Amino acid sequence: MPPQPLLPPDPGYRYTRRHFLQGAGTTVAALTLANCRANLTGQTAAPDNSSSGGKNALHIYTWSNYIDQDAVTAFTDQTDVKVIFDIFDSNEVMLTKLQSGGGNAYSLIYPSDYMVTQMVDLGMLAALDPDRLPGIKNLKSRWANPGYDPNNAHSMPFSTGTTGLVYNREATPGVPEDWEFLWQASPKISRRFTLLDDTREVLGATLKSLGYSYNTNDATQIEAAYRKLLALKPHIAAFKSGGFEDEILAGDLAVAMAYSADAIPLTRQDTNLAYLIPRSGTSLWTDTMAIPTTAPNPEAAYQWINFMLEPEVARVTAERFLFSTVNQAAFEQLPPEIKNNRNLYPEEEVLDRSEGIAPLATASNDLFDRFWTEITSA
Amino acid sequence: MTHNLPSVRWLRRSLGPLLLLGPGGLWLLLLLVIPTLLILDISLVPGLRLGQPATGYGWGNYLQILQPVYLQVVLRSLLFATSATLACLALGFPVAYWLALVSPRRWRNLLLVGFILPLWTSSLLRAYAWITILRPSGLLNSLLQALQLPTQAWLNTGTAVLIGLTYSFLPYMVLILYASLEKLDPHLLEAAADLGASPRQQFWRITVPQTLPGIAAGCLLVFIACLGDFVVPTLLGGASSMNISRLIYNQFLGPTRAWGFGSALSMLLILAVSVTIALLLRYGEVSWGQGREHPRGARLPPSGSDRIPAPPPGPH
Repeated sequence: MPPQPLLPPDPGYRYTRRHFLQGAGTTVAALTLANCRANLTGQTAAPDNSSSGGKNALHIYTWSNYIDQDAVTAFTDQTDVKVIFDIFDSNEVMLTKLQSGGGNAYSLIYPSDYMVTQMVDLGMLAALDPDRLPGIKNLKSRWANPGYDPNNAHSMPFSTGTTGLVYNREATPGVPEDWEFLWQASPKISRRFTLLDDTREVLGATLKSLGYSYNTNDATQIEAAYRKLLALKPHIAAFKSGGFEDEILAGDLAVAMAYSADAIPLTRQDTNLAYLIPRSGTSLWTDTMAIPTTAPNPEAAYQWINFMLEPEVARVTAERFLFSTVNQAAFEQLPPEIKNNRNLYPEEEVLDRSEGIAPLATASNDLFDRFWTEITSA
Repeated sequence: MTHNLPSVRWLRRSLGPLLLLGPGGLWLLLLLVIPTLLILDISLVPGLRLGQPATGYGWGNYLQILQPVYLQVVLRSLLFATSATLACLALGFPVAYWLALVSPRRWRNLLLVGFILPLWTSSLLRAYAWITILRPSGLLNSLLQALQLPTQAWLNTGTAVLIGLTYSFLPYMVLILYASLEKLDPHLLEAAADLGASPRQQFWRITVPQTLPGIAAGCLLVFIACLGDFVVPTLLGGASSMNISRLIYNQFLGPTRAWGFGSALSMLLILAVSVTIALLLRYGEVSWGQGREHPRGARLPPSGSDRIPAPPPGPH
């Protein structure tokens, strides 16, 4: 497939969505110190009425590269609501901040699918009123009733994507087609590939390569995946969810497991880079917009969600940041070269082979966590 | 009124220290003692999961650390900290010696500032800089290639962690050793030379014993810093060098969220650091230890009979 000319180079792309400034975690670690057991067992702190900005401010907590400054300006012009947004780099950091009461100012957050389920279970997300969300009709039918949040009762799908492999053609022997490539090529690309720093994604991809499901509760299958991954361990350079960009552009890394929203913009920086959705299937993720129960200004949050659901706004955002929109009306307005990009908008059969990461039984969760800790510690 | 005087005096005597200690004490209580007790509390609850009612107390989290794979992580952390400390000592002592005893006096402060200057930038940035140096197509390998030497794939290995830790904490070692060496009484060296000691003998029998508490202080401080460091092992260590601070991070903010296990690991780290600090207080700083013991006159400084006693504390 020839490299597809897409948009003119946009000046906005600097950080990836899940750009992981790892050291930043040390500052967040202080939060955990201040956290006590009461928060751990699922209670959330009371809303902070004294939050800065007053009634006409909307505090948003989101991934980097999800909010376009032009859209913010247009929104403020339209609604007279001032938007202040903060960035998180992982769902867990976001959850911890909200649980420890440090996120009481936020009226809108952007959790991913599995985190929506977890936060609904913890009673942290307000139920959405469909009558106040006329734009909901613009969603693609696949996202009308997602498994992680039936009927979108607590969350509004915003963007979607796959998890795959981004590789540097010059540094990679052969052309990867499936997850199995990592095991086959590992002696040749030893310590020159990275995997995501994510339990479910990495063990899930290993399960998929064995022909099992991402969401299996079968202990034998999970253990088989653990053994297979352990065999690959000596060859893995690092577990990173971000920060591999420079190294793969330079060819220091041959392959990196990455989210499509990070990988596809990267492939536009250098035609030597390519993104691949593994043949045996992958995980489909969805990032959503949701309103925490502690939100001081849910009114403005609804206005924001509706604004984001407007086809024109959704189209411009999806085009600028190169992620896949779940908005059918916006999708139809996209220029053909983006609409036909199979990495951004895969064929139905690829989607059918793939799975969304769903919550597991507690025993399986413990098993995943234990195996993951052992693999990363080995 | 006279019968009230003793109690007023008593009040004044107890209020004074209370006012002085109060703010710091409160700070320590709120931000150190209570959080540590909370960590201890969480560490004693095995299988604690977010959003689920807490289970009973037990030793499960501590027993988990005894599994070979986690013992290996603890040992690896100790190994990193020990070898980085030794590397800092080996590199730092000659520098501190030169700064304190050889370098021209009027340049001394400037040189010292120059050596501390890297500390003015974020440790995160300095770790990132090492990625640029160590990666396969980085500065180091370009240099090695130009010199026709074999290239090294050090990034994402223990070697990179060791280099990063040594680089990060060398300035602390140099500062402490400098402070210790600067106090060295040159008359003792002159006297030794007069009595026929060779430079080597002077060094090993006068300079080193005199600065031993400084060496101990530097080593223990660098050891503590290395043991708990998170940034360098995370950025430079890759998949193969999990250490205790990264493992703790992963239990709280990483993909696996076992707060109980993470707390147990934290308690272990706190214990290890406490022991090191106790050693530091006992053997650390020269003037400190003697200030405490000299007035009583009962005990000699703690290192051997052939050691020449240091001059009593006072202006040098």
